[in-house]
Amino acid sequence: MSKAVRLEGITKRFPGVVANDDVHFEVERGTVHALLGENGAGKTTLMNVLYGLYEPTSGRVEVDGEKRRFDSPRDAIDAGIGMIHQHFMLVDPMTVTENITLGNEPRKWGGLAVDRTAAREEVTALADRYGFDIDPDARIEDVSVGEQQRVEILKALYRGADTLILDEPTAVLTPQEIDDLFGVLGELTAQGKTIIFITHKLGEAMAAADEISVLRDGRKVGTVDAGDTTREGLAELMVGREVLLDVDRPPAETGDVVASLSDITVDDDRGVRAVDGVDFELRGGEVLGIAGVDGNGQSELVEALTGLRTPDAGTVEFLGADVTDDSRRRRTEAGMAYIPEDRQERGVVMNFDLVENALLGSQHSTEFGPNGRIDWPETRAHAETVIDEYDVRTPGADTAAKSLSGGNQQKFIVGREFERDPELVVASHPTRGVDVGSIEFIHERLLELREAGVAVLLISSKLEEVQGLSDRLAVMYEGEFVDVVDPTTTTESELGLLMAGQDPAESDDPGTAESTDRDDPVDAPAGGERA
Amino acid sequence: MSDAPAEAPGTDAEAGSDPDPDSTPNAGPLGSRSNRELIAWAAIGTLAALLLGGAAFPNTILGVLADVITDKDTLSAALRLSVPIAFAALGGIFSEKSGVINIGLEGLLIISAFTAIYVTDVTGGIWIGFGGGVVASTLLALLFAVVTIEFRADQIIAGLAVWLIALGLAPFASQVIYNGPNTPTVGTTGSIYVPVLAEIPFFGALFSASPSVYMLFVAVAASWYVFERTAFGRWIRASGENPKALDTAGVNVSRVRYVGILVSGVLAGMGGSALSLDLGQFTGNGPTMVNGKGFIAIVAYLFGNYNPIGAFLATMLFAGLDAIQTVLQLQGIGLPRQLIRIIPFVVVIVVLALVGRTRLPEAAGDHYESGEE
Repeated sequence: MSKAVRLEGITKRFPGVVANDDVHFEVERGTVHALLGENGAGKTTLMNVLYGLYEPTSGRVEVDGEKRRFDSPRDAIDAGIGMIHQHFMLVDPMTVTENITLGNEPRKWGGLAVDRTAAREEVTALADRYGFDIDPDARIEDVSVGEQQRVEILKALYRGADTLILDEPTAVLTPQEIDDLFGVLGELTAQGKTIIFITHKLGEAMAAADEISVLRDGRKVGTVDAGDTTREGLAELMVGREVLLDVDRPPAETGDVVASLSDITVDDDRGVRAVDGVDFELRGGEVLGIAGVDGNGQSELVEALTGLRTPDAGTVEFLGADVTDDSRRRRTEAGMAYIPEDRQERGVVMNFDLVENALLGSQHSTEFGPNGRIDWPETRAHAETVIDEYDVRTPGADTAAKSLSGGNQQKFIVGREFERDPELVVASHPTRGVDVGSIEFIHERLLELREAGVAVLLISSKLEEVQGLSDRLAVMYEGEFVDVVDPTTTTESELGLLMAGQDPAESDDPGTAESTDRDDPVDAPAGGERA
Repeated sequence: MSDAPAEAPGTDAEAGSDPDPDSTPNAGPLGSRSNRELIAWAAIGTLAALLLGGAAFPNTILGVLADVITDKDTLSAALRLSVPIAFAALGGIFSEKSGVINIGLEGLLIISAFTAIYVTDVTGGIWIGFGGGVVASTLLALLFAVVTIEFRADQIIAGLAVWLIALGLAPFASQVIYNGPNTPTVGTTGSIYVPVLAEIPFFGALFSASPSVYMLFVAVAASWYVFERTAFGRWIRASGENPKALDTAGVNVSRVRYVGILVSGVLAGMGGSALSLDLGQFTGNGPTMVNGKGFIAIVAYLFGNYNPIGAFLATMLFAGLDAIQTVLQLQGIGLPRQLIRIIPFVVVIVVLALVGRTRLPEAAGDHYESGEE
């Protein structure tokens, strides 16, 4: 049987980095092939080579058994390769049909006009053929992320793609939409299309793919059949050593109260009550986890605590002082570190290099700026410390934050915040979109801080994360703490019930617990929209 | 002394919104922005009140204003004044929609205005001169395109350079060739007169106008068609909104942007040639005869929300005010001339403040290089 795609000995060098090192990779026609690896392992680079966006330093590309050389995506498209990028390549104010036909518009009147009727019919026919439910006249900015992704897929199919490359397709989707996507992939392969699916999530690779190839540090370390492998086996391939998915930790030795919130009430940007009378105390040396489906007020609560949003009622006390009306800067200086949930929006300035990013939040501190001037050598040394100690993979401190992979950006932010020597760390989804190796690393650092007597507030939508790290676990639902539980003695299904706003004590029928657990993803889309 | 300024703002606002009705019936194509509609309706109201007031009290200021507004000559002057601004605005739309902010429109108008006169003077053919102006403007636009696309120059700075080059070059060339910043007088484009129709009150002005006015109507319609109906129009939009989407769809972004800028050069050149050939002379003192029209064009297409028809109507608003203030200066309505003269500029500022933010093309002003992350 012929291979849909065959990459042989692909090497791609960038200044200072070897992104792909002699990679051999082949995909069987009509299958889903997952390309798995940590962030920065070189998955996207490899696929950009296949798609003609990058020219490989050496190596050859074969499509359907024929050697090809792609100078531009146009060549790859002509060879039947389509790519759905992580950031969609769609023009927001244009309609679904206009986007799908962009660059290949059907014409009439000798090319003088776009044949809009034909375009619409072709798009509708294509969508019907693959069972996509889509409004051809909707504007991209008005449709959901899941639909935008289907538009991207249709766009590739419209151009006659036989092989589709999907770059981290699930990163932006809600659990419900992920299920839909996997259904779509099944439909596509059933009709003879070949799918290459880039991901760093083990579970998804195993759920969706027929075969899985693993990349590590730019090299391919193995190709396995999805049917005969295990999560542990894949994780080991990805990081190159055995991963402890469970975290060991001694019991908490709690100290004084570091932060105390009473009766915090916050309205969100639309004026809807997001946080409704939340109280809690946080002591040094403990991790308080907040679990809950995204969009139940966690973001607003964190913003009220860190000073990014003024609560509409209630008080925030930090180290015994009322800081409710204090600015973010004063709270930072008082020892409140913050790992924001959207790292590219709030964690780093993408166009700044790492030296400048290392300074952020400390720009007023006398440590880096005697007399209002900035001591750049000192700042550089600080940036290099963070890079070294937090294992940030970068060519150097002068690299712009935007050229780091997501996981490395996150490690850098974590390092910068932890190096502040904080009394309180507010970590909002600290491992979202981060690869397995970095997750483990960030977890260890959080626990080190806890042992050093720092108070940690951990917000995460990943249950295993909050369960594994927290000493106490609060479950948030519709702006309130439903309950605060001991994570070691609470089961996942009990937590699931709490996250759905029910008290498990009131229902001892396990069947109910099951079904509520399954309901979570249904709630999630609402959260997804707000995130 | 203190009374006059206190009275002035009220009068300004009143007179200021007069010709707005020109834009009113067509507020629809401008898009659904409520502020734009608000301005349009406010203008209708002001105009209606003014005309009624003028009819009721023919011997007051209101009466004079109403007379001026309904005069055929006012529309005629407004059309003539709008030609260079509207052409430049259309050009600006092509460029900016493709992702390159062209603030050098003023410079393109200046260089084409001068060249049109010079070529006419040398060859004796008015339309050859017109073409010469267009070529000069297009060449300067090409220079702008090369430095912004090829050499990744900052678009704003390169645009300012285009303006400054033309602002220095045109009067200088005139000085060298004609020993003075003003050129001698050459023939004008004259006007096309349609019998009978030109006799209609007020709207008759539409049938007795310079050929460039009709060329403008064609250009507005053609631009609208290109953006709304052709594949190339979509590429221009995509190039300004998300060039990467266009690139990955297999269309060369740089090429689309080159064409966008060159079209802006051609259109602005037509505006500049029409401007100087309408008078038969180029005057190069101070800000030259172009005198900010290229910058008002930018305001016009922003107010028109990048829609060719909207930009034209916005231009008519500004040009109409300009026409009215000229007449009012001659008639004298008891206000200092200096105050009347600033009316169009005050309206530009008021309009900008009221419209609020126009949504710029997402990638306007950004350089795009294929294959860069």
